[in-house]
Amino acid sequence: MIRKIKFFLISVFIISNINALPSKPKKQVEPQNVKIELPGLELLDYPSDRGDSLILKWDTNDDKDLIYEIMVSTDEKNWKKVKEQKEGSFTSQNIDLPFWIWNKKENKNACVIEIMKVFNIQEEEFFKEYSNGFKLYAKLNVISKKQKSESQTVSAIAIGNWFRADRLNSLIIVLLVSLVFFMVVSHAKKRELFIRRIAGLDAIDEAVGRATEMGKPVIYVPGIGSMSNISTIASVFILGEVGKKIAQYDANIKVPHYDPIVFTVAKETIKQAYIEAERPDSYRDDINMFITQDQFAYAAAVDGMITREKPAACFYMGYFMAESLLLAEVGASAGAIQIAGTDIDHQLPFFVTACDYTLIGEELYAAGAYLSKEPMLVSALKVQDFGKLFFIIFAALLSIVLVISSKAGAINITNTILDILKVR
Amino acid sequence: MEFSTILGAWVAAGLTLFIFSFLYKDNPFFKAAEHLYIGAGLAWHIQLIIYKIIKVKVWEPMKVAWASGNWFTIWMIIIPTILGLSLITQFIPRISWLSRYGFTFMMGYSAGLALPAGLATDFTNQILGTIEPFANIVNLTPGQLINALILLIGSISVLFYFFFSIEHKGAVKKISNFGIYFLMIYFGASFGNTVMARFSLLYGRFDLLVRYSNAQYFYATNWIIVGLVIYFLLEKFVLNKVIAKNS
Repeated sequence: MIRKIKFFLISVFIISNINALPSKPKKQVEPQNVKIELPGLELLDYPSDRGDSLILKWDTNDDKDLIYEIMVSTDEKNWKKVKEQKEGSFTSQNIDLPFWIWNKKENKNACVIEIMKVFNIQEEEFFKEYSNGFKLYAKLNVISKKQKSESQTVSAIAIGNWFRADRLNSLIIVLLVSLVFFMVVSHAKKRELFIRRIAGLDAIDEAVGRATEMGKPVIYVPGIGSMSNISTIASVFILGEVGKKIAQYDANIKVPHYDPIVFTVAKETIKQAYIEAERPDSYRDDINMFITQDQFAYAAAVDGMITREKPAACFYMGYFMAESLLLAEVGASAGAIQIAGTDIDHQLPFFVTACDYTLIGEELYAAGAYLSKEPMLVSALKVQDFGKLFFIIFAALLSIVLVISSKAGAINITNTILDILKVR
Repeated sequence: MEFSTILGAWVAAGLTLFIFSFLYKDNPFFKAAEHLYIGAGLAWHIQLIIYKIIKVKVWEPMKVAWASGNWFTIWMIIIPTILGLSLITQFIPRISWLSRYGFTFMMGYSAGLALPAGLATDFTNQILGTIEPFANIVNLTPGQLINALILLIGSISVLFYFFFSIEHKGAVKKISNFGIYFLMIYFGASFGNTVMARFSLLYGRFDLLVRYSNAQYFYATNWIIVGLVIYFLLEKFVLNKVIAKNS
């Protein structure tokens, strides 16, 4: 009996502690490289690019734990891992292309392969070496909990595109604006179009008149912009009108220049202004003078000129940077009437504080049209006003549409609106 | 310390103080610094054009293209070079009309380049930036929502101010006046921000002047300040009286 009890107790002890015994190590499931045919795997040339990118896309899978290793090669032998991507983490929707060249609704995984980054090739070298295209092979290593499998190989050639189809919206807007412009020009030629009063420009007559009475010069500073700056172009238009008034009043004007091209254009403009005012004999070549192309050296020279000449009026019209306050402050201390205008928003506060009149941004563009009443310029101003009206209406309406579509979860409407407006 | 370093310190401190002396009044030291600055600036740009443009973009590629007999490249270099050189004909009145070709090309090129870029940055991207927050209104915090509304109302009211086709009276005047408040708030913030940045530049210059006032630079800053003060005192009490007496 005792032996039976002993046997029973020992059995109970063994059974109760069986889990505490060191168990055999569990056999790990080693991922194996199994060849699989991944559905929908495609390598595509990135549309509307310079020829330095490709898109790899493949069908989505229900297993959200899948990890994809994206492998690329130029010769199908030496493979390079580009990146790792989890199932569903980057889909067709994440590709930054508009809906008219890329189907965002397609439920597929997608990945952009930037060749220069992947193979560490310099931009200049890449476009010199691969001007006819860059052939790339790609495959995926699919890693699941159980196994690692390798997809089929796909290939494509990255070729540069002549036409940026992703900027089609921009082209359409340019064409529309041009169409509206020509319609307004033809209208403006038939009858005068209304432009509201701009205080700063009405003061030009006062400033030139004051200079004539005092027998002191007018200094016109066209800024430090090149001829491609819209503000410089506007400044040259205003210079033409100021030049005409100067010629009519037989006053004296000095125009110091930073940019040699602007200098030459301004020279022609002033010459033309004197001819239009029927005073070509009063024109002198030294009205326009080139100073230097160094920003602060230019500012120092103009400051010196203002201090010594003590002008009756100073005009600062065009593209200005840090020299704006240096000029305006010296002009104010010289007691000149100062009229400024620029579209550089962070320089405007300095002009507002130191000048008598300031043309803010768009007012500078409007100035040429306002002063000359030239049909072309007035039409340009009207087109800008149409643009502003369009902005006001669209910003208000589209905000409401986006709020409604966002609340309703209509993501497609939202994306379509944003795509149309986005210029890449 | 090397002589060139000490000389450099004297020149740097001297030119800085000469320019600063303009804050008192125009004087010969400022004029000297101003003219030196203009001359140095001009010379710098000329060498930049020679070594970074003419040599790199014209001379060297032309040598390579000429050696390889690549006529396409040769023409691609010659045409823009001639257009560029045509601008210089402005100095020769008889053939100055040639410069119009260069200018016409540049104006056309600039306008073509500026038009789509300007439309994108100043127009479509502005609309997009204004309305984009509303596309994600479900996830916006109250603060972000207020921010988006301020952006929308601010943009629209400021645009009313820049509307030139209609007279600003009645409701339009009220909205555009509201827009002016937005503009002034922005100008105030921008003014403060820029002034802070300028002060940081000024501190940098002061730091330099203090460094050059040390014994190792032979008290460059101190001696120059003393010299300037003596000049201004002499000018005020002696030179002006002599000039007045002679005239």
